[in-house]
Amino acid sequence: MNLTSSHLIALLPLMLVCVTVVIVMLTVAWRRSHFVSATLTVIGLNAALASLILVGQVAPIQVTPLVMIDHYSILYMAMILIAALACSTLAYAYLETLPDQRDEFYMLLGCSVAGGLLLVSSQHLTSLFIGLELMSLPLYGMAAYAFKERLSLEAGIKYMVLSAMASAFLLFGMALLYAESGTLSFTGLGASLANDALHSNWVVAGVGLMVVGLGFKLSVAPFHLWTPDVYEGAPAPVSAFLATVSKIAVFAVLMRLFSLAPATGDGWLHTVIALMALLSMVVGNLLALMQKNLKRIIGYSSIAHLGYLLTALVASDGLALEAAAIYLATYVATTLGAFGVITLVSSPYKGSDAGLLYHYRGLFWRRPYLTAVLTVMMLSLAGIPMTAGFIGKFYIFTVGVESELWWLVGGVVLGSALGLYYYLRVMVTLYLKSADEPERDAPNDWAQQVGGLMVLLLAALVFLIGVYPQPLIDLVQMAGIQMPI
Amino acid sequence: MEFAFYLAAAVAVVSTLRVVTSINPVHALLYLIVSLIAVAMVFFALGAPFAGVLEIIVYAGAIMVLFVFVVMMLNLGQAAVEQENSWLNPKMWIGPSILVGIMLVMMIVALFASPVEGTITGELIDAKGVGVALFGPYVLMVELASMLLLGALVTAYHLGRDDTLRPARDMNESRQHLTRDHRGTRQ
Repeated sequence: MNLTSSHLIALLPLMLVCVTVVIVMLTVAWRRSHFVSATLTVIGLNAALASLILVGQVAPIQVTPLVMIDHYSILYMAMILIAALACSTLAYAYLETLPDQRDEFYMLLGCSVAGGLLLVSSQHLTSLFIGLELMSLPLYGMAAYAFKERLSLEAGIKYMVLSAMASAFLLFGMALLYAESGTLSFTGLGASLANDALHSNWVVAGVGLMVVGLGFKLSVAPFHLWTPDVYEGAPAPVSAFLATVSKIAVFAVLMRLFSLAPATGDGWLHTVIALMALLSMVVGNLLALMQKNLKRIIGYSSIAHLGYLLTALVASDGLALEAAAIYLATYVATTLGAFGVITLVSSPYKGSDAGLLYHYRGLFWRRPYLTAVLTVMMLSLAGIPMTAGFIGKFYIFTVGVESELWWLVGGVVLGSALGLYYYLRVMVTLYLKSADEPERDAPNDWAQQVGGLMVLLLAALVFLIGVYPQPLIDLVQMAGIQMPI
Repeated sequence: MEFAFYLAAAVAVVSTLRVVTSINPVHALLYLIVSLIAVAMVFFALGAPFAGVLEIIVYAGAIMVLFVFVVMMLNLGQAAVEQENSWLNPKMWIGPSILVGIMLVMMIVALFASPVEGTITGELIDAKGVGVALFGPYVLMVELASMLLLGALVTAYHLGRDDTLRPARDMNESRQHLTRDHRGTRQ
């Protein structure tokens, strides 16, 4: 196995992110400065993002049999890096007054991003597993970052224990598949399973265990129980990271796994995933109805949104790839915006986050622009026209109708109707008259800080995609999955 | 060598079950060591001696060191010594000894049975094979596994750091100070 310069160029984003982590670590060893750590991280992530242009010129290229850098992975790498940049700007404002050491956060973020980058370009179960672990392990630390806060520590421990369980399921499933097929690469698995062995009990067990493991990471029902607690307990920037980067990466690799190793045969796997999708839509939306905490609401709504996304996975033909990418992009922009507002209201750090809807009562009369941003995000999550969420949902509908998945289309309709209720409830709260002095509020100069600017930009982006989605669609259409050579 | 595989696997399952069900951490560790040795035996029986040796050196060895560290750190005086004695009473050694004994018998049978009881079928995976694989197609994974360890280390450092503000003293003195504090809260 020789690595030539074009291989190294293809690995540039991954290497730049890893080097950033090491540089931040060395800088911290020399002198701690929150500003320097954050700046170095942002520079590193931006450099990695810029290097994607170079990577685009050598793609598609296979770097070792484990990693395939194609336009598909470049698209998702870009999404991950942008989401990570947004999270680190949010974290900067949030961590400024944390009564603890702040620099480790950026190292953990970098490690996690590296895992995500590996995951979206993996075409082998080994790189899938290492990528998944590299992404989730630092997340335990990030979720428990403000560990003096009981809820944050609880979120970290809960996520760690359940995630380790899920990894064990995944690993055991992989082992069973390997025992049956003798290969770990996605295409090899597809080829050997397509022949005869799909009905073997071991393959069924192996695929089932893998579905459990990946379903946990995607937090689809019935493996969703951790989601609201972790979203609520983790610091807001971490919740944003968890809801965007980890979901993008896992979904992208799942999509690739499905395209390269399609579960043909009698399609029981499709039935299982369709059921999970339907269950996620219903359960996520129903449980969100009565919540009083905005972070929990977004957590439950993320379960429902993953359910919608799984529709594209079930279809997995025709428009499915494009629809999944567009839906993910719009969902990520929206979720980042929503968590961004929560972060701004909760920062600088003053104990547990301002998550309760009560804290947002009458926000409009104090911070009209910030309220406008949150309103746009809620409308987008609900999928109202003129926002990005509508475009995504439109694509999901198209895919569902095209593949004649009527049950799932019905689920999306029902879910959207239910969703409208609780998103509107949040919006109504924002515009109510608040009687007493607010307990938590964004700083007066929020719009002049990087986090505030980022949130405003996201709002503009969500609106722009909703009105003029063509550039995004063009971008996504270029990104196809490359078969391994 | 199938009997060796199944026997060692059974020992591993039983001892791991006891790891989970033990109330006492020291007892759980004892069974954990047995379990790791049994897994090493499984590797040997399957024809992967390098993995088996690594399992012994890294896991059983490292766990032993961990064990020693735990005992050292809990060494807080007479009460603790008595407590440790109650943890490590001879009865506790029976279970692990039986399990390890089974494996010893198994090894002796495998070594000295004549004619040879059975041979390992399938490919032998030696250290060179593992090395070639790790630094061939899997080289990226080796590098990224180090990032994984870095992430774990930073997490452990952040969460495990003891940042109660203590006046600057030399290390031994602060250790004694700490020990005294602990004893104070215990009594």
